[in-house]
Amino acid sequence: MSATIPLKELKPLILSVYRFDPNKDKKAYMQDIEIEVPDNKDLMVLDVLHLAKEKETSLSFRRSCAEGVCGSDGMNINGKNGLACTTPLSEAVKRNKLVLRPMPGLPVIRDLIVDMKQFFNQFEKVKPYLITKDDAPELERKQSPAEREKLDGLYECILCGCCSTACPSFWWNPDKFLGPAALLYSLRFIVDSRDQATEERLDDLDDAFSLYRCHGIMNCVSVCPKGLNPAEAISNIRKKLTNRNR
Amino acid sequence: MKEKDNRPVYLNILTINLPIIGISSFLHRVSGFVLFSTYLVLVWMLNRSLTSEEEFVQLLSDLRNNFSLKILIFLISITIFYHSLIGIKKLITDFFGVGEQLKSGSIISWIYNVMFVLISITTLIFIFC
Repeated sequence: MSATIPLKELKPLILSVYRFDPNKDKKAYMQDIEIEVPDNKDLMVLDVLHLAKEKETSLSFRRSCAEGVCGSDGMNINGKNGLACTTPLSEAVKRNKLVLRPMPGLPVIRDLIVDMKQFFNQFEKVKPYLITKDDAPELERKQSPAEREKLDGLYECILCGCCSTACPSFWWNPDKFLGPAALLYSLRFIVDSRDQATEERLDDLDDAFSLYRCHGIMNCVSVCPKGLNPAEAISNIRKKLTNRNR
Repeated sequence: MKEKDNRPVYLNILTINLPIIGISSFLHRVSGFVLFSTYLVLVWMLNRSLTSEEEFVQLLSDLRNNFSLKILIFLISITIFYHSLIGIKKLITDFFGVGEQLKSGSIISWIYNVMFVLISITTLIFIFC
């Protein structure tokens, strides 16, 4: 990429990146890598990582689709979680410095790669699939446009983990509090007209930790790369539980 | 036996951005802890004020003249105000669904924090002037 851009249009950028190699490092550290980025084009953070990897070949990070669909490259960009592939440098860089760290609260496997096991354990607990009790219909389980509309703002989650790893309640209780992503998915199936396990789903959430550890900090909403609102979803589940228990 | 996980975890809250709603929520917790830690001071003062008329008058005099006690009362007062204000904000959000969007929640948090600053300044003037 850099070879196609005339040198005079390049400007230096300091990339400060979190490094940890389990084979040689006892502790994680921050490494500054000076790179040159085009002055006349707004690159994405992921492009910068690729440029940095040309200099530091051992630098490790996850990526796949590079267009905000797969959710692989979630990381902490200058203090705020986001997807490297959809975060432009113009939004992220402060004082000519880009600071990249792994998503908070999860064990680091290497550099910017975290172990997402805890995140997916919590996701699994909400049974993220349709549960039906009737026999399967001949063709399909139908849904009216109005019923389908209820899923908007819920089904778009790509499970990048940005929200849950930005949530202080998830940091302190990652094994008990389900986290914003899992709870968003939970509501997605609670409101689905085709699902027949609403009461069981609500029963599973009706304890001190699974749902009620959310304190409305709204960092999940602030960082969601898809513009979703897990805090509102959590509030809606709360209201359903309250109305049910009246 | 479960093997100890030696992998590092990045969790430095000083380098992680939080929206104003998050900072308010964090300070709400801190103010709750401070109130819990200092409630004995209030109980001590209540006890003094109820012991006798002389003791009550002496306590009032101390509150007016003892600078350290004034600072302590000021700090406890603003902690109570902060905890109450943000607590009311949370109740309003829970009961009426106000401020469930990031923008509206942030605006409401700013309003409550500005109210807190104004009340703190009024309290400061009331106690020290």
